[in-house]
Amino acid sequence: MINAFLRTLGWALVFLLVVEAITGTALSAFYAPSATDAWASVAYVQDRATWGWLVRGIHFHAASVIIVISGLHLLQVVLAGTYRKPRHQAWWVGLGLLGIIIAIAITGFVLRWDQAGFWANKVEVGIAGGTPIIGDTVRELALGGNDQGNLTVTRFHMLHVVALPALAAILTVLHVRFARKVGEPRDAAQPLRDLVAMAIAMAAVLTLVVSQHGVDLGPPADPAQAYDARPLWFIRWLFELRHLAGSAEKLAALAAPAVVGGILAALPIVDRSGTPEGRARRWPYVGAATGLFAVIAALTVVSIARDANNDARNKAMAAVDKQAAHARDLASRYGVPATGPLDVYATPPMWRARTIYATRCRDCHDAASDKRKGPIIAPGHGGRAWLEAFLKDPNGATFYGKTKLAKTDNAMKPVELPASEMTDLVEALYAESGAPDVDVAKRDRGRAIFEKACTDCHALGEGVAGTSAPGLGGLGSRDYYTHYIGNPKSAIHMGADSEMPRFDKELTIVERDAMAGYLVWLRSATNSQLDALGPL
Amino acid sequence: MAPPKPDRRKFLKLATSAVGGGLGLIVVAPALRLLGEAAGSTTVKTPIDPIDVGAVERFPVDTPIKVTIVAAEVTDAWTSARDVVLGAAWVRRTGDKSFEVFSAVCPHLGCGVDFDGKQFACPCHDSKFALAGAAQPGAVAKRGLDSLEHDVTADGRLRITWARFALDTEEKRPA
Repeated sequence: MINAFLRTLGWALVFLLVVEAITGTALSAFYAPSATDAWASVAYVQDRATWGWLVRGIHFHAASVIIVISGLHLLQVVLAGTYRKPRHQAWWVGLGLLGIIIAIAITGFVLRWDQAGFWANKVEVGIAGGTPIIGDTVRELALGGNDQGNLTVTRFHMLHVVALPALAAILTVLHVRFARKVGEPRDAAQPLRDLVAMAIAMAAVLTLVVSQHGVDLGPPADPAQAYDARPLWFIRWLFELRHLAGSAEKLAALAAPAVVGGILAALPIVDRSGTPEGRARRWPYVGAATGLFAVIAALTVVSIARDANNDARNKAMAAVDKQAAHARDLASRYGVPATGPLDVYATPPMWRARTIYATRCRDCHDAASDKRKGPIIAPGHGGRAWLEAFLKDPNGATFYGKTKLAKTDNAMKPVELPASEMTDLVEALYAESGAPDVDVAKRDRGRAIFEKACTDCHALGEGVAGTSAPGLGGLGSRDYYTHYIGNPKSAIHMGADSEMPRFDKELTIVERDAMAGYLVWLRSATNSQLDALGPL
Repeated sequence: MAPPKPDRRKFLKLATSAVGGGLGLIVVAPALRLLGEAAGSTTVKTPIDPIDVGAVERFPVDTPIKVTIVAAEVTDAWTSARDVVLGAAWVRRTGDKSFEVFSAVCPHLGCGVDFDGKQFACPCHDSKFALAGAAQPGAVAKRGLDSLEHDVTADGRLRITWARFALDTEEKRPA
């Protein structure tokens, strides 16, 4: 009875291989094999395509289940001694098939081109490059050239999607044929048992898929950002072995799979125990093979447990997860720029200006900064209400109050005017920004007031400095801001009174222009609109 | 039909393998040549001129600062892109205008090296490197961090010449 169920493992494997072929075909209709598009296309399948996460999840987790069942299948054959003649050919082909399946999984993991796939690929290619004599050539053939790039992705895609699956299909057919050469009495209940096994395997896959909402996808590959790379779980034992091997690690990584494969392949040759002697003489071989399994399992568990207890690593990984969620959120909202997946970080509205603000302006200008030295820059800055409040109390806390200038005789005096004249003056200043909603009559009256009340110090003509205070021509326009940020100490602006550093060397004209565009946007923005721009 | 004579049989056998083998070769050889082109070809081209990483004042004395190396233009097989991140370097200012610059690429297998406050540490295989770049005892890396060529321009800007080196070798040689 137990044997009858153990025999189902083979068919469960064939079933899962077919599942991989079907889901893989569907995924290949979405995947774009290039360094610029790979991550973006995977993120699209995972987060945006209908049921994409499900198909991708099945494709990923079925591979894990295939490797688990392959291990059980292998163990079952070892225990039953059915690797011996006349099934030795099936044994050898099966071992080859398992090798190919592992290679398919490894090459597939690279294709997502996220941090995990990219760095795992870097390390794997580094190990392959350590092969004596032919190392450099192997490395270049694997990379498709001198470094990771487009041709690396296309090459691993070719291996994962075409070459290795074709080989696996051929070996599967051969394996089944060799295994069935020795006729066994067919039991009428066996097909049903096989189907039940397939259902159980699929249930395991779906459980993994649902619990992880498909499968994870990290932040896009970034050669400048370190990543604590780990291989997939089923080659974890090699990672651990290298860890233990110290300076002999390269040997360990390359030789260990060869040794394990060699021992297993040699079983049918060395194990001559025939039927007459019975099981008694087979125990050393069975012992050796199961011992090998036990060692591999132990190394895997130790390695995973060590990481699980590594707080520094857990913290770093949590940060990576957060970054991944951010990158994928941006990809879903704004799309990934055709220039490459790292540019996805720059897709939030006015990202460049907001980044500059956060790094260069925030300390001195943000309401929340305890190091503030200048006027607060916030939504409404430069608008009518702001202008009026400023004119009434230029040295108030939210305006020039924190500057050195406010405490000197050069500080601007509050403007005292009747309410209607104040509105007119505000309109005249507001009009300088080029805003489209200017009341022309008010503006003209305001200009007349400016002539009387302000020209002792200021000027309103284009490109003209005031006698002792900033020229206000173009105040609040994009050009004005670009120029002001470039050099606030210019004679036309604040002159020597300004404590703000000049940015014409630190920021490019494009950056200053982006900053100016942001300030113009802020003028008519509200706090909730600013919040709606989302995180950087 | 009468069975073919022995020499005729020999001829048929030879001719079959010749034509079959030739046909196979015509199909397989070009494909293999195409795939083999990768060996020894420079598919990812990065500029070799020094790359500006900022004003000298940006770097505090003795504290390593990580800088991102951004190339003006990189071609990767069929694409060209501007402002491409090539990697990162650790810059330690040792004096007024003197610097020590190390590639952040671990000389072991190419992971990104971090600075833990006292020394450099590679997260992947736990190699540690002293502040001056030397591999610490117990590190799996066979050599210390790779220093990068750099200079300071007349107007006080640090420039780094980016390079990659062969991994996991005792001597530092260009990759």
